[in-house]
Amino acid sequence: MTNTVDVKKTKKKKKAASLEKKKARAGWIFVLPFVIGFVIVYFPIVFESIRSSLFYTTKVDGKFVDTFNYFNSYYQAFFHPDTGEFTQTLFSGIGEIVLDIPMILLFSLFMAVLLNQKMVGRAAFRAIFFVPVILSTGIMDAIDASAVIDTMTNADGIDDGSGGSTSGQVVDALDMQRLFNGISVTDGMLGYVTNAINDIFNIVNRSGVQMLIFLAGLQSISPAIYESVQIDGASAWETFWKITVPMISPMILVNAVYTVIDSFTSENAVMDYINSIKTKIPEMGTAISAAMSWIYFILVIAVLGIVVAILSAYTFYQKKK
Amino acid sequence: MNNTQNVNSKPRVRKETKNKIRVDFERTSFKERFKAKFLTFNFLKKVVWAIVRYILLVGVAYIVLFPFFSKISASVMSYTDFTDSMVRLIPKNFSIEIYKAIFVEQEYMRAFGNTFLLSISTAIIQTFICSFIAYGFAKFKFKGNKLLFACVILTMIIPHRTLASSIRLMFTNFDVFGIFRFFSGGGFSFLGLFEYNNDFLSSINFMQSWGPRFTSSGVNLMNSYWPFMILSFCGLAFKNGLYIFLLRQFFMGVPDELEESAYIDGSGVFRTFFTIILPISIPMMITVFLFSFSWSWTDIFYSSSQMFFNDSSKAPYLLTTTIGKKIPASLDGKVPSNTLKWDAAVKSTGGLMIIFPLVIMYLFCQKYLVQGIERSGLTAD
Repeated sequence: MTNTVDVKKTKKKKKAASLEKKKARAGWIFVLPFVIGFVIVYFPIVFESIRSSLFYTTKVDGKFVDTFNYFNSYYQAFFHPDTGEFTQTLFSGIGEIVLDIPMILLFSLFMAVLLNQKMVGRAAFRAIFFVPVILSTGIMDAIDASAVIDTMTNADGIDDGSGGSTSGQVVDALDMQRLFNGISVTDGMLGYVTNAINDIFNIVNRSGVQMLIFLAGLQSISPAIYESVQIDGASAWETFWKITVPMISPMILVNAVYTVIDSFTSENAVMDYINSIKTKIPEMGTAISAAMSWIYFILVIAVLGIVVAILSAYTFYQKKK
Repeated sequence: MNNTQNVNSKPRVRKETKNKIRVDFERTSFKERFKAKFLTFNFLKKVVWAIVRYILLVGVAYIVLFPFFSKISASVMSYTDFTDSMVRLIPKNFSIEIYKAIFVEQEYMRAFGNTFLLSISTAIIQTFICSFIAYGFAKFKFKGNKLLFACVILTMIIPHRTLASSIRLMFTNFDVFGIFRFFSGGGFSFLGLFEYNNDFLSSINFMQSWGPRFTSSGVNLMNSYWPFMILSFCGLAFKNGLYIFLLRQFFMGVPDELEESAYIDGSGVFRTFFTIILPISIPMMITVFLFSFSWSWTDIFYSSSQMFFNDSSKAPYLLTTTIGKKIPASLDGKVPSNTLKWDAAVKSTGGLMIIFPLVIMYLFCQKYLVQGIERSGLTAD
């Protein structure tokens, strides 16, 4: 009698202990596809990429021979006579993207606030505004690229709807410049604003996903908060700055990170330049271009770190963990 | 003053028929009601704001849609319109010869079928695999899950363009721990650092007889759908890190009690996932499906010659690699005086034909787009 009770007890204990283990095992099974892929596919790819940046490949008697270059390729990336524009391309490219980030964030936040209000035709506007999400991988750009040339060479005739001509037609940059000339703003600020306006097509097309994320964030703010603030007599302006912005600040962080990653990983001038190096310099080209990629990547991580550090200081979390 | 008196005064009740009564009271005059309702500062503010809002929204909608309008109008113009300087946005003579030429000469349906097959299979695989992985990260605590999630973020941050040549090399000589290579007579090797081969080892090469893709340095998977499938099955394809992140955020918002009650009723982990968690996460999964389907449909990087399809004679015939790339022979040089514009119009018509099926699908699925993300309870922690 006593024996059986004991057996039962130990059995129970064993079961309770193994549930945790079971769950941990189940967790491993769920993430297994990623683990396998990371070990078999991703790790060798990254390894090979780093390796190729450290070895020069030369052809000796019809055979390819790799020689370790003692980080010479990283040095050559900056100081090789054929890579003179690298530093300039790198920093101007990064600078451009960094300047675009606040524009994209402001625009998408503003549009998300607008699309969140109740009005006639909201569903239709939402449907239109998220078209860039679907078509954002650059297929239209690739087709437009051929069309842009002729808008430059031919001012009159049929508008074939290339992106290049659109910005000129939507807002006349000259008018904008005149408007801002009246107001005393610094030249840098003026240039930034006019550039942003000229680039509006680009910005609209790049802020689809961000708009979606902001909209989701706005929807998750409890209406009770707005109601209580309204009863206390807050104006719309105050409500926006004291309720909406703090509540949405985690999304601002998410969107900033997404924007940085998205604009650095999509096709841009720096990537194109790095690709062109591969064939430009014989023998050392592959290694130097791989080295450049990693330099670029490290700078992207640095930018990402700075953006996250700045924004997380202003981010407000409702529940502290 | 007058008004309030009128309203408060007792209405006169009059019996009209047996079952009907009539109540007479003096209503506030229309003029005063109008004044109180519409001639206030508050109402004015509302109207002005509504107008400004619509101008802004219509303006941005115009920016988004204008390229499509002008491309569509150029695509239905007959070639005589291209020499007419009076014609700008609205065509004078309609014709669908560009569509016809692309449809017939560039074998649109064949490209459509191939692209559809590739996009739908990768999108379904990615949606399921990513939700599988994301569920593991969201609901299970196991050793090293934070480190693994950091790896997911890492795959998101390192652009595939940076790794392009290494990815290409990987799939030209695809191998799992040197197994394929060993059985194809390539001997031992480890990550390209260490190689060893001798006559005996190279005599073990029965895999090479399986087909031309099996070479002594691994399996050549270029110009096939395999690289897409392998990347999708491992959650490593284009923007899969983002999908895993979004889905993890969604699953974290699902209350634990739901699964606990299922466990108590005797359901296992996987059964719970498939019968309880997946059905409630359909809007989110449709969002991810929509992303991955449309991004693979319009992809021009992975299917390009610098990535997986480096031999155009062997590569699958896809929409993005064929349609709109070249001018169909019957349309070539049809407008000698304005070749540039004509070519641009033909090419952009090709682009329109590529995205047209996508737009149709988007119209049906777009309501899930907001819904799915709305319910994710997305936060940045």
